[in-house]
Amino acid sequence: MKYSYIKPRKKTAFTPEVQIVFTFFAITLAMLFLTYAFLLYKAYTFENEKKEIIEHRKELKANIARMESQINFIEKQKALAEKVFTQNMVLKDSIANLFDLVPQRITLSEAKLLKNGLILYGITPNKDVYNFMLQAPLRSIFHKTYSSFYPAKNGWLMFVSTNYMDESQLEELDSED
Amino acid sequence: MKIKISRHYLYISLIALFLLLFVLVFAFGVLIPKGKEYRESRLMLHKENIELQKYQDFNDRVLEKLKNLQSNNRHIITAFDTPFYPQRFEKKHKVFFSSLKVSKISRIKDEQGFATYEVNTTSQMSSPKNFYDFLDALNKSDWIIGVNFPIDFKRDGEMIKSSFTMKVYANNKDKNSTASGSVTK
Repeated sequence: MKYSYIKPRKKTAFTPEVQIVFTFFAITLAMLFLTYAFLLYKAYTFENEKKEIIEHRKELKANIARMESQINFIEKQKALAEKVFTQNMVLKDSIANLFDLVPQRITLSEAKLLKNGLILYGITPNKDVYNFMLQAPLRSIFHKTYSSFYPAKNGWLMFVSTNYMDESQLEELDSED
Repeated sequence: MKIKISRHYLYISLIALFLLLFVLVFAFGVLIPKGKEYRESRLMLHKENIELQKYQDFNDRVLEKLKNLQSNNRHIITAFDTPFYPQRFEKKHKVFFSSLKVSKISRIKDEQGFATYEVNTTSQMSSPKNFYDFLDALNKSDWIIGVNFPIDFKRDGEMIKSSFTMKVYANNKDKNSTASGSVTK
């Protein structure tokens, strides 16, 4: 038996009001969870980046230490090489000065250059030429000068001139080097 | 006065209230502390980045200094690394002398941490100028060589006979690391 001519409306729990409330909270919760997920993701990436930075910094530190040791080593090489080059040039000048020092009238037969002295063997026409033209400049350079003469076959004099510098002077020169 | 609320609306209100409470608790209890943590982490990372940049800049400066030093002293670095061979030395420097003879090398006490070798040299030349040119050439040679005392010059007819010792300096393979090694940036 029918009591109404219209069909009965289906009853549902999701009324428009419920839908509005759920939509609102769904959006709100979605935003909250997305924000939270974003923060979690960022915390994870920050942690990774921090680890990478620490690792990179360690590598840089090791690299810097290695390069600094190489720099020190090259500077050490450079210092020694420059010292050797300078010594060679000083030696060249010393030998040039020695040969310039010997006058035309005196002939050298041998010259021994020592660390602390100079020994010259040669021939001179007479003692005066030797004393004025060779011994005088040698005396101004060296602290101790000894000369000995013996006659040569042609009437000239053969000489041996031994010249030494003081040890203290040598040490000073070494420290200057 | 009696307020009549249907059961349906009451349920909606209760659900809304529960959800609101959840939102508030979640926001204040979890999200805001996490946000603070995020801000602190970002600041810390920024500081770490600045410090890393400083290290990077310093590394670049040291690298540049090393490269300059290496390029300016290429000859010296290579010379310390080159092994000394008497035959090669004679071949390269005999142009300055009428004859040149280098004896076998002998290792002597290290100098300033570098391996030092001594060689005795005898030569014949026509003029002292040859010896000066030889000394000039030594400073440009493939090795680090210093002429050492005693040096003996002796007249031999029209020639000058000379004998002297030379010190050859090289990298000490036991102690020194090679300076020409590659550098990674």
